[in-house]
Amino acid sequence: MVAEGINVLILSDREVGAERVAIPSLLAVAAVHHHLVREGTRLRCGLVIESGEPRETHHMATLIGYGAAAINPYLMLESLTDLRQAGMLGELSQAEAEDNVVKAIGKGLLKVLSKMGISTVQSYCGAQIFEAVGLEPELVARHFTGTASRIGGVGLDVLAREALERHARGYPRPDSDLLPVGGLYQWRRDGERRMWDPETIALLQHSVRPNGNGDGDVSQQTYDRFAHLVDEENARAGMLRGLLRLREDVRPVPLDEVQPATEIVKRFSTGGMSLGALSPEAHETLAVAMNRLGGRSNTGEGGEDEARYGDERRSAIKQVASGRFGVTINYLANADQLQIKIAQGAKPGEGGQLPGHKVDRYIARLRHSTPGVGLISPPPHHDIYSIEDLKQLIYDLRCGNPRARVSVKLVAEVGVGTVAAGVAKANADHVTIAGHDGGTGASPQSSIQSAGVPWEIGLAETQQTLLANDLRSRIIVEVDGQMRTGRDVVVAALLGADEFGFSTAPLIATGCIMMRVCHLNTCPVGIASQDPELRRRFAGTPEHVVNYLMLVAEHTRRLMAGLGVRTMEELIGRADLLEAEAAIEHWKAGGVDLTNVLTMPEVEPGAPRRRTEPPPRVLDDALDWDLIAAARPALERGEKVGLQREVHNVHRAVGGILSHEIARRHGSAGLPEGTIEVEFHGSAGQSFGAWLASGVTFTLRGEANDYTGKGLSGGVLTVLPPDGHPYLAEENVIVGNTVLYGATGGRAFFRGLAGERFAVRNSDAWAVVEGCGDHGCEYMTGGRVIVLGRTGRNFAAGMSGGIAYVLDEDEGFEGRCNLELVGFDEISADDERELRGLIAEHAQRTGSPVAERILSRWSEYLPRFVKVMPHDYKRALAELAQEAAGIAGEGEPALRE
Amino acid sequence: MGEIGGFLRIHRVGFDKRDPRERVRDYKQYFHTQSEEELARQGGRCMDCGVPFCHEGCPLGNPIPDWNDLVYRGDWRRAVEVAHSTNNFPEFTGLICPAPCESACVLDINDDPVTIEQIELGIAERGWANGWIVPEPPATRTGRSVAVVGSGPAGMAVADELNRMGHSVTVFERDEGVGGLMRFGVPDAKLEKWIIDRRARLLEDEGVTFLCDVDVGRDVSAAELRERFDAVVLAIGSRVHRELEVPGRDLEGVHFAMDYLYQRNRAVAREEGRPWRAAEREITAAGKHVVVVGGGDTGMDCISNSLREGAADVKMLDVYPELPSSGRPENTPWPLPPKRTLTTYALDEGGERTWNSEVTALEGDGDGRVARAHGRRVEGTSSRDLRAVPGSEFALPAQLVLIAIGFSHPDHDGPVRDLGLDLDARGNVRAPVYATSRPGVFACGDARVGQSLVVTAIAEGRKCARPGRRPLERLARLLARGRAAVLRALAQGLGDDVNDDPVDDQPQAPEGDDQTDGDGEGARGEHRREA
Ligand SMILES: Cc1cc2nc3c(=O)[nH]c(=O)nc-3n(C[C@H](O)[C@H](O)[C@H](O)COP(=O)(O)OP(=O)(O)OC[C@H]3O[C@@H](n4cnc5c(N)ncnc54)[C@H](O)[C@@H]3O)c2cc1C
Ligand code: SF4
Ligand code: SF4
Repeated sequence: MVAEGINVLILSDREVGAERVAIPSLLAVAAVHHHLVREGTRLRCGLVIESGEPRETHHMATLIGYGAAAINPYLMLESLTDLRQAGMLGELSQAEAEDNVVKAIGKGLLKVLSKMGISTVQSYCGAQIFEAVGLEPELVARHFTGTASRIGGVGLDVLAREALERHARGYPRPDSDLLPVGGLYQWRRDGERRMWDPETIALLQHSVRPNGNGDGDVSQQTYDRFAHLVDEENARAGMLRGLLRLREDVRPVPLDEVQPATEIVKRFSTGGMSLGALSPEAHETLAVAMNRLGGRSNTGEGGEDEARYGDERRSAIKQVASGRFGVTINYLANADQLQIKIAQGAKPGEGGQLPGHKVDRYIARLRHSTPGVGLISPPPHHDIYSIEDLKQLIYDLRCGNPRARVSVKLVAEVGVGTVAAGVAKANADHVTIAGHDGGTGASPQSSIQSAGVPWEIGLAETQQTLLANDLRSRIIVEVDGQMRTGRDVVVAALLGADEFGFSTAPLIATGCIMMRVCHLNTCPVGIASQDPELRRRFAGTPEHVVNYLMLVAEHTRRLMAGLGVRTMEELIGRADLLEAEAAIEHWKAGGVDLTNVLTMPEVEPGAPRRRTEPPPRVLDDALDWDLIAAARPALERGEKVGLQREVHNVHRAVGGILSHEIARRHGSAGLPEGTIEVEFHGSAGQSFGAWLASGVTFTLRGEANDYTGKGLSGGVLTVLPPDGHPYLAEENVIVGNTVLYGATGGRAFFRGLAGERFAVRNSDAWAVVEGCGDHGCEYMTGGRVIVLGRTGRNFAAGMSGGIAYVLDEDEGFEGRCNLELVGFDEISADDERELRGLIAEHAQRTGSPVAERILSRWSEYLPRFVKVMPHDYKRALAELAQEAAGIAGEGEPALRE
Repeated sequence: MGEIGGFLRIHRVGFDKRDPRERVRDYKQYFHTQSEEELARQGGRCMDCGVPFCHEGCPLGNPIPDWNDLVYRGDWRRAVEVAHSTNNFPEFTGLICPAPCESACVLDINDDPVTIEQIELGIAERGWANGWIVPEPPATRTGRSVAVVGSGPAGMAVADELNRMGHSVTVFERDEGVGGLMRFGVPDAKLEKWIIDRRARLLEDEGVTFLCDVDVGRDVSAAELRERFDAVVLAIGSRVHRELEVPGRDLEGVHFAMDYLYQRNRAVAREEGRPWRAAEREITAAGKHVVVVGGGDTGMDCISNSLREGAADVKMLDVYPELPSSGRPENTPWPLPPKRTLTTYALDEGGERTWNSEVTALEGDGDGRVARAHGRRVEGTSSRDLRAVPGSEFALPAQLVLIAIGFSHPDHDGPVRDLGLDLDARGNVRAPVYATSRPGVFACGDARVGQSLVVTAIAEGRKCARPGRRPLERLARLLARGRAAVLRALAQGLGDDVNDDPVDDQPQAPEGDDQTDGDGEGARGEHRREA
């Protein structure tokens, strides 16, 4: 037809009926697309799909990804009519309802596109950036040509059977026109199998609680039933690890020769679930449990209450996510492990969101933000665009805490092995491979269902790539994603994991019942809620978690004994002890080929398949050791110290280790301002003044590179041109890109221009600069930024807190500012005082003629300042003010009586 | 879903019981049905849980969150449809189910569960009141015939299901009315009998034939049924009593509770002009000192009937110790039904329960009539560790002694013997996946699992009609048999492959002990109503 000159093909399943069974829409589109590609006529026609099937973002994304130029999801639209008639859409008109759905799907697609780094639908169309999990190679080769499919799987016959089966539910018309609920989002007995069902949840909870018979064996038996269900039944039906079997043809060893459970649990950690997602009670319960076990809990994104640092409630792993919420030097200094979260299993690329109603005073304090203002973690880390950047961040974090392990958390997806090798080369101590089946109830629904690949695949790929590149011995590999039983642990270890992250299961042990309402703040068991009434209902204890993980470790031991292995060290990487399960019941599993997963690359005899040595030392030549030595009187006795140093661009993250020393000794308060004053000359390397702690003042005469003032934590940072410079400083760039990223406090003064992304995700630093590049103040949540000159485009995008004052001399600022979340406000008398004070300090520290001119003609300049104020922030401040007034008001009558 | 956070604002409103002093004088339902508004409000407490434990807790797998939401939004009509999608008789369970769904409700962890049972009843009653529950005879008949023996909830459910599939169903019942223990065990105060009649009439209008007063094995042999019908389903209940082995058991005035309850239910039927049978020997509690042996629900129903007859006093002896009346004992953690002692509707009305007491002998008045019951105190918590307390002997005046200590298994005479069916270890009919050892003969309900509940009996009946696997898996196996089999199955709908490959799900002997189940019944029928 295309040859005949027809240039739009419409594939439709409208004619489905008693005699006609619909072909899955994606198969239809992909098959036609690839056929035309092979014929060489693809470019001559457009492909349109009209189908009752597509209804979710993921459906649309895959259809477009496989070549559909337009989609008519008629049944989805007709369902709206139905819903409307049933009165479920309130006052919405049909057009409005359709509009809303289309808009929602559009937004979803945008997220998908942006996480793949694609900016137009045109380039996404036909790009097929997917990995097929569980499709047979022949099928993929023919209809999904070019798609990665590493484990084989079902073929056309099975797809046909499934289509027939679906058809059979509709024809002949059943007696009732009720549709089965399906259970994809909510568990139903006859619906899709889920990772957790009532039985497994209840058994796990019962196994860790006292059972009234005073009988320890009962716990063990209950756990065994739990593990049996999970391992044999659920796993077999849904999980890749269920298709793997532990070899039985090996000589077992006696159980008592196997490493004790108390040693095994030291390799366990809990996943990064943030305070904000979890209630403080639940979060602390996990921390206490992990500390008692000698394992590690994870702060998650969003900081940690300093009150917890000194005791059992401290989280050993401190996460550093793109939002950098609460990432202060004191936070870094109190970690055993610093985890850079690149992407998380459930939400690759989508960033995290914390709705405003969950941001109470406590959360806001930890995140250095404003109560009631929703928080968005930007999808990318603004300081990581390449593996070199990642290496830099690893270095910066090492400076922030030379004692801590630095870890990178990756999501298991195509190519994760290569990225992991990059991470190892970037000198990380540790890499976490997160599988697709993790995630909390707060993750957007389309991510829960269809992001990433199972950890088994990602882990196997990582192990193989690391071994092949001789990097395995210097990095710890952790796997994270729905670990539930000792068998999961053993399979993961055999595939190459040194450590094991648990997320959902420990929460279930403390009482989580998988409500999947985490985002609504109504969690009835007080785990994922900030509501004080609900938090009181939390009944979990550290013992629950301890008991559970000990049961898992005991289970691990028993399996190890069966495999004839005495220690975890001997177990790791022994993929040869696994084999593919022959009798796989579920028909979808037929045709799965696990050879790729089970490959063990040849390595030299005796070469380690696990981590045996630390990564190379990188801090030895840091400038800070000298600063620390010279500042000893200040560090130890609080005496004032003034220093002068040369700096060169090989010196990176100058001030980081020094700040660590201060935080270690003096906590977040640091030292009184100006205790340590250092005057530098020269051209500083990246991350100059990173994490600079309170009490340190750096003044650099010269220039500084990218990431200056990263995570500024209370120190004062000034950069000004060297004396006698021949150019106009206000027209030249003096600090690089991404300056003050994630700053949490302190002040900064730049006599000149800053590059792009100035003060992104600043939460509490105050800064003055004389002009900046694009994306200034993006995602900022607090603090003050004063720009005494031109800004680049897209200023204040995603800014939800803090205030920026921009001197708008050419009156073109409005066009350069992203007004989605912010507006321009009156400058009040208080504001004026603040503004003028900062400009005066800028003048004093840098001698800037620009500042001096403004100050001397203040009344003339003041009206030219634009106050950039986030809407949400304004609302929240007003509410807080009202609340304060209300409290005072209530008190009054009592006073009068 | 209901209202976001609704459970934080709306409190559970339980059953509205009538004044005991008033209700003890009649044979009407002992509580009032809730208003539509209140039910909708209560439905709004449901959180539409990601994992709805209620749905798992209900033996029928009722789509509870779905109906709660519909009720909350006032869409009763759809709710009626949804409720019937998994439950043939929501009005029965809505009245007398012990509601394991509610003890499994997520809100029971630290709050009061959603009033699922009352909502279920509300839905069913609204369906009837609005004429939404109407006969829907099958469009086509398969030409196959099935005989169902027994018209208890299991027999009714299996008949309903098979009839819907187009088979011709005849139900044989030896009593004069349908409903099994729901009619002759459960008193009208819990379940008024016109409710059973209403449903039975609907089934008849849809084509089910009920033949009452036919005792299979006596009036017609089971073997004959097997010949005349394509299949036979035994739903004969578990009716063999556990015996009280003490001296004096033979005295006049000592009876099985069931014999008494049958008579009382018949007396009400007579009063209300329904069919009834006269007793050979009348059992009455009027003016007597009554002793009920066994602390389960059968015993409670005996108390309620004795009080209505005007007994002088009623004493119940329970061998087990008293349990806390609220909270969750550690050995029955959520979502299991908690073991607690509740004041039942019967004890609200009168009567007295003594714990840790067993009957040792019954003493006559010299004329062969019972006059006194002798007993003693015991210690221990389960049937295995009960010990007599020395010197704790006591005696009670007793002119009527009712034995309510449970049933052991179905009748082994009659159809079971006729057909030579295999039994399981506990004496129930062995029927993994509902097929007995005789081809074409199936069993379900208490006859297969031992004494249980109405809700389990209905679930049994449903599954017996569609045994085996989920449609998806069944289709897989059909495919293996070839294209013709698939097309045939598709034409018939995927549900009716009665003789499917068996999977062994014969119930196992219970593992736990039978604490508090004086008659092995546990608290049923009303345990939630107290909340
Ligand atoms: C006093 C009492 C109170 C109860 N209260 C509750 C309650 O509140 N809630 C609850 O859920 N459960 C309660 N139960 C339990 C519940 O009633 C039973 O579990 C349920 O009725 C079992 O249903 P079934 O259909 O398997 O058997 P049954 O109800 O026992 O029905 C069996 C039927 O088969 C008939 N039959 C037997 N043999 C033959 C034959 N040879 N020929 C013809 N017909 C025959 C019988 O006459 C009877 O009608 C109670 C039980 C009792 C005894
Ligand atoms: S049948 Fe019983 S368990 Fe099921 S929903 Fe109704 S009351 Fe609950
Ligand atoms: S468990 Fe309770 S709250 Fe949850 S869905 Fe069921 S009835 Fe609703």
